[in-house]
Parts: sequence; C-alpha cells; structure tokens
Amino acid sequence: MIRLVVNGRAQQVDAPPLARLLDALRLTLGLTGTKEGCGEGECGACTVLLDGVPVNSCLVAIGQCEGREIVTVEGLAIGEELSELQKCFVDSGGAQCGICTPGMLISADALLRDNEAPTEDEVRDAIAGNLCRCTGYQRIVDAIGDAAVKLATIQKPAPGASGDKSGA
Amino acid sequence: MSMIPPREGVRTFPPSGLAKTELASPRTIDEACELLARSGVEGKRTVMLAGGTDWIVDRQLMPAEKAVPVDRVIDLTRVEALSSIAFHETNGERRMTLGGGVTYWALRRDARVLGTVPMLGVMARDVGAVQIQTRGTLAGNIATASPAADGVPALMALDGVVVLTSAREQRRVPLEEFFTAYRKTVMQKDELITAIDVRVPNDGAIVTWRKVGTRLAQAISKVALAAVIERDASGVVTRARFGMASVGPVTAPMVNVRSLVEGKTLASIDRAALGAAVAKDITPIDDVRSTGEYRLHVAKALVWRALHP
Repeated sequence: MIRLVVNGRAQQVDAPPLARLLDALRLTLGLTGTKEGCGEGECGACTVLLDGVPVNSCLVAIGQCEGREIVTVEGLAIGEELSELQKCFVDSGGAQCGICTPGMLISADALLRDNEAPTEDEVRDAIAGNLCRCTGYQRIVDAIGDAAVKLATIQKPAPGASGDKSGA
Repeated sequence: MSMIPPREGVRTFPPSGLAKTELASPRTIDEACELLARSGVEGKRTVMLAGGTDWIVDRQLMPAEKAVPVDRVIDLTRVEALSSIAFHETNGERRMTLGGGVTYWALRRDARVLGTVPMLGVMARDVGAVQIQTRGTLAGNIATASPAADGVPALMALDGVVVLTSAREQRRVPLEEFFTAYRKTVMQKDELITAIDVRVPNDGAIVTWRKVGTRLAQAISKVALAAVIERDASGVVTRARFGMASVGPVTAPMVNVRSLVEGKTLASIDRAALGAAVAKDITPIDDVRSTGEYRLHVAKALVWRALHP
C-alpha cells in the first residue's frame, strides 16, 4: 500500500511499486483527467505536479511517490469553480481537443506559482514539453499571459488544490 | 526519452517484468551501497533508479517476451546527499562537486552554479523540457552512457571526474576514461555514481555550449559541443577541453583538436588543419536524426566557432 496526497487528499494506493504514477492515477484512483499521449516522456500530456514541480507521470514509479504530494488537473479548480488559469484557457480558445490541455494547465500553473509575471519566452519555455497538435501554441501562450495579469490584479487563490501545501 | 519504436500489443500494469519487483528506498549513500552489495550476494537482478527518464520508458515499451524480470529496484531519489553541490580547492584548482542526483532543473536554478559555470545552466535548459529536467539526473545521464547525452559533454569539457562508491571502496574515474564502448562503462555492478567533480574554468576562459537539434526543446542532439578554452596573458591557449555528443559511439573528448589548439594563439589556428583534426576525432554516422556528412560539417563549424566567439 502506497500512501500519498493527491489533490490535497490523503490516499492509499494498492498498486505494485513499479507501476507508473500515470497508471496509478488513472486506473487505481480513477483520475482520468491526466492523459497518456506518447508514454515516453516526449509529449507532456501526463504532466502532474510532484511536490510542486511538473513531471511526466509516465516516467515516475508510484513507489517513488510514497509520502509525496501530487496535483493533477482535477486539483486546479476550486470546488466547482475553474481556476483563473482554466478560465483564461476557455476564454482565449486555448483548448480544442483537450488531450494536451491537462498537461498544459499543470505546466502553466507551476510557472505562475513560481513566476508572477513571466515573459513570453518564459511561458514558452515552461510549456516546451507539452505538445499540442490542434490550436498551435499562440492561444495557449496568450491564455497563460492573461492569467498572469488577472492573478496579479485579484487576490491570489490558493495554489493548486485547496489542500495543497507546497506553496509557490 | 528513448528511441524505441512505438509499442505493440497489450499494455501491462505495471510494465512487463516489474509486477513482483521490490522497490527499496535508501536514505543514505551507505544504505544504497549496502543494498547493492546485498543484491550481489543474493543474486538479485537489481536496477538503480533516479528520474526514470530512460529506464521507465525502456521498460514500458519493451516487448513482454524481452522484459527480463527485475528483482529489486533501488530508488535513489530519497538519498539527500546525492543532491548536494559543493565547492572546494584542490591543488590550487577551484572545483565543484555535483552530487549524482543533481537534476537539470536544480542546475539551471542554482545561483552558485550559474555564478561560477553558467554554461551548465545553459546546457541544462537544453535538456528535454521542464518535465525531463525536473527528473533527469547527472548520474543517470552518465550511467545510461548514451553518446547523445547532453550532460556528459559539458562535464567532460570541465575535466569531470566520476566518483564511484561501493561498499568496498570509493574510486575516481575521469569521464574521458569512463566509457569503454557504445553504452558501456567501467562501472561495476555494485557501484553507484555518487558525484561528479568538475574544474571551474579560470576567469576569462571562453566557455561554450552549443546543441544542434531539430527543435529547441525535446530534441536529442544531431551534434552538441561543450568547450573550455583558457589563455595566458599573451593569448596563448594554455588549456583546451572539449566534449562532443552524437558523433561516435561515446562522447568525444576531441584529443586531436586539443593538442592542435594548445600552445597556439587562437588567431594562428588554420581552419583547414582544425577541420582535419575534428575529422580525426569523431566517427559520425547516418541515423534517424541526421547524416554523418551533416554531422561532420556541423562539428567542424561548432569547434571553429568555439575558438572564435
């Protein structure tokens, strides 16, 4: 039994320790927001936060997560309300088919926690490991830029999940 | 970040051959070495795991019939001592000891590293993308022994010495002598790469990192070059060190280029002679990423530019 915190909630996962974090999230915990794209660390669709930093969950063994904190796309909304970043993705047309979106959101969320006013280059660097085949990247970059501006002007919501303690 | 073709057939959970694998999580280098030694005694097939950016991909994509079961995986991500970065002075040289578990993400964000050897930060940014940088480690990059590794040429140009630790002993092997053939190293089964000790270039040294790939992020290099050129007050090169990726079975230290350049002023170096030395130092091939001809052309250009910034 592997104990970890997922989206602010303590969880016990009954999985072999060498199972991929991605499979444990999707198959054992039913958190299917995280997608599998390539399964080899190229596309970023399976990006989650591990103790606050973005990782490809297809490259992490669940046993390596014992006692650690994971945030998936399901942990970004606050209750029923989308995060400012998610709203900006919707408003800017930053999401189309949706396969890359969870990973894009996680990478962008990590960037904005670390850097309140990223330059466009910094935004592009942060999502360079997230491949999108629909929109092109401009609308996604715009959405992240908009979110940074909005977050700077309003009271900052709790980062990631409501119970996430990893901070900025 | 592997070059294995797309998987076929049924997916397994966990990857084939790992259903019964034990995951050991040592907290100290001693514990990790103990475990390795014990695996040897017990005859257990054992793998050391850090960021998993190569190994987990390989296991996931491996056809089930080829997936030899692994008895024990030693997770190194909880060994805090492997993440240390420390400076020291030895024989009048300023040196930096990077723990084997130092990630690319840590390298590109560590103020002390960026302040002394900014080239390491530039190199780290060129590795994969953020999600690879947060997991990939220097020791993993070295142990995998891919000639396309990004970290290895940079560490080689900095006179990197690999510190290998086992329950028996600790030994130091210069990176130049570490790789014996394609994906083969001098590492013994019970040894762990605990650190890489590099030399901090002198003030005023010309330090270059240049990676040529199909795109900036998530690309494996066609050719990459790290170079450190030091000169005396009259402009004579006193020390030239290189590491070149993806131009042979192992990372190339470019020894012919080194001896051509040392003892000369940069202005006096003949371009044709330099090109000939480059050609002697590398054995580039045609593969999925590039051609031998293009690689040779790029290699010559990168070395020339490293000497003429």
